[in-house]
Amino acid sequence: MSIQWLLDKMKSFSDKEAIIWKTNRYTYKQLLDRVDYWKTTLRDNGVSGGQVVAIEGDFSPNACALLMSLVDNGNIIVPLSSTLPAKQKSEFISVAETQVKYSIDSTDNFKFEALKTKTTNPLIRNLQSINEPGLILFSSGSTGKNKAALHNFTKLLNKYKTTRPAYRTLIFLLFDHIGGINTLFHSLSNGGCLILISERDPEAVCKAIQDYQVELLPTSPTFLNLLLMSEQYKYFDLSSLKIISYGTEPMPESTLKRVHEILPDIRLLQTYGLSELGILRSKSRSSDSLWVKIGGEDYQTRVVDDILHIKTDMAMLGYLNAPSPFDEEGWFNTEDRVEVDGEYFRILGRKTDIINVGGQKVYPAEVESVLLELEGITDVTVTGESNPILGQIVVARVNLAKEEKLTDLKKRIRDFCKSRLNPYKIPQKIEIAHDNQYTARFKRMRR
Amino acid sequence: MAIDRQKVLETVYASIEMINEDREDKESRLELKEETRLVGRQSKLDSLKFVGLIIDIEQRLADELDIEISLTDEKAMSQARSPFRNVQSLVDYICSLEV
Repeated sequence: MSIQWLLDKMKSFSDKEAIIWKTNRYTYKQLLDRVDYWKTTLRDNGVSGGQVVAIEGDFSPNACALLMSLVDNGNIIVPLSSTLPAKQKSEFISVAETQVKYSIDSTDNFKFEALKTKTTNPLIRNLQSINEPGLILFSSGSTGKNKAALHNFTKLLNKYKTTRPAYRTLIFLLFDHIGGINTLFHSLSNGGCLILISERDPEAVCKAIQDYQVELLPTSPTFLNLLLMSEQYKYFDLSSLKIISYGTEPMPESTLKRVHEILPDIRLLQTYGLSELGILRSKSRSSDSLWVKIGGEDYQTRVVDDILHIKTDMAMLGYLNAPSPFDEEGWFNTEDRVEVDGEYFRILGRKTDIINVGGQKVYPAEVESVLLELEGITDVTVTGESNPILGQIVVARVNLAKEEKLTDLKKRIRDFCKSRLNPYKIPQKIEIAHDNQYTARFKRMRR
Repeated sequence: MAIDRQKVLETVYASIEMINEDREDKESRLELKEETRLVGRQSKLDSLKFVGLIIDIEQRLADELDIEISLTDEKAMSQARSPFRNVQSLVDYICSLEV
């Protein structure tokens, strides 16, 4: 019973609103009834502790209750957002050695499927042997391969035992994101109310804030840019909103300042977290400042050659499909370049060449390799270019075997990439190069 | 130098047609008219497509009309009324820029 403490806490909130989903309100008591329903269902479906169980869907009453029942049952859980491309989903299911799959659709109906998989991964086997629940989250790796981070779920949840303020919170981040999981458990362990939404455009979000008196909006800089551009904040009553927290990608300073100008009474707080380490406690110096204190009691930080390193007991056990990233003393290199001012950090972005398009990572090598397959392209360099809306966009500078009109080339590239790359990885800007794009050492030049 | 509004409008339409080419479903195509919304929920563009459209317009303006401008700089982003509401406001904004 690894989360009995959480269920007890939830029980004490009995008739308070726990979640709102599609205009339906569920109290803590009703949500706990759902958890009980799932306990019975897991038994009926023959799902035993230790099995690896994928939940495919988005935040919904059943998805939340199932997640808790699975933790309680001692399962290793693989949340998979319904927005994942099919090919990636099946890859994740196989890397995680998934044995049972629950698919929850947009009306909250579910489908059960038992897969004939045997777990062989030593990290999974170890967790099974000590009867602890697990969580598998996928993050991007340096070659574009997604790394599977395995957490001990009991350890991850321990920090929610400390009582903290709870708000009416809109869940913006997805079900398979460390930030989404964090919002869920923070709210449920402190008696907060979660507003679950299925659409995430500025109008839908502003409407939900107005309709359900949302106080806390955890979101991304890209969304805030869209909010500014769409001017939807003018058409809805956002007076309930107290805090906007932002993370997942570097925040452009101009965006932060404009949000602060337009919504001066709302506190703007930066968050910092990684799928490998969880979400750190953080405190922004002020609403219009990018300087942030990060750490908290469970996390140690140090800066080596301008790069942030973190050590914590909350860290994952390891990757299922990659070597351990921790050094002998347990430090994790975040590869985030930072500036330091006393206790405050300013996060400058990744030290590597990773391009961050609206919070989604793009590895130049992957895009380059696809483009090089296209007839007539002799060389290509893919880089990121800063863009005030998406943070960065993908730019491809290509060398051609023979002259071609730019508009024709753009169309060929789009058509070719459509079936080979996620939309956000397809180059937005194409430039034709007339010179060589490598140095004397035959290293690619990324300007 | 004054900018020819009609030519700018045609350039914006050419970029919209590029987006439409990728859309088999007629419903999801953008209409070639000045009232067509570019951002917000009534727009048929997600953020990626929207940025793609703006970049394509910038490139066409430079290549075809010799107008070198940035549509997503500080100035454009800090207008009291967003220039990206619809085709008309975007064309007006481009024409208002000193080249």
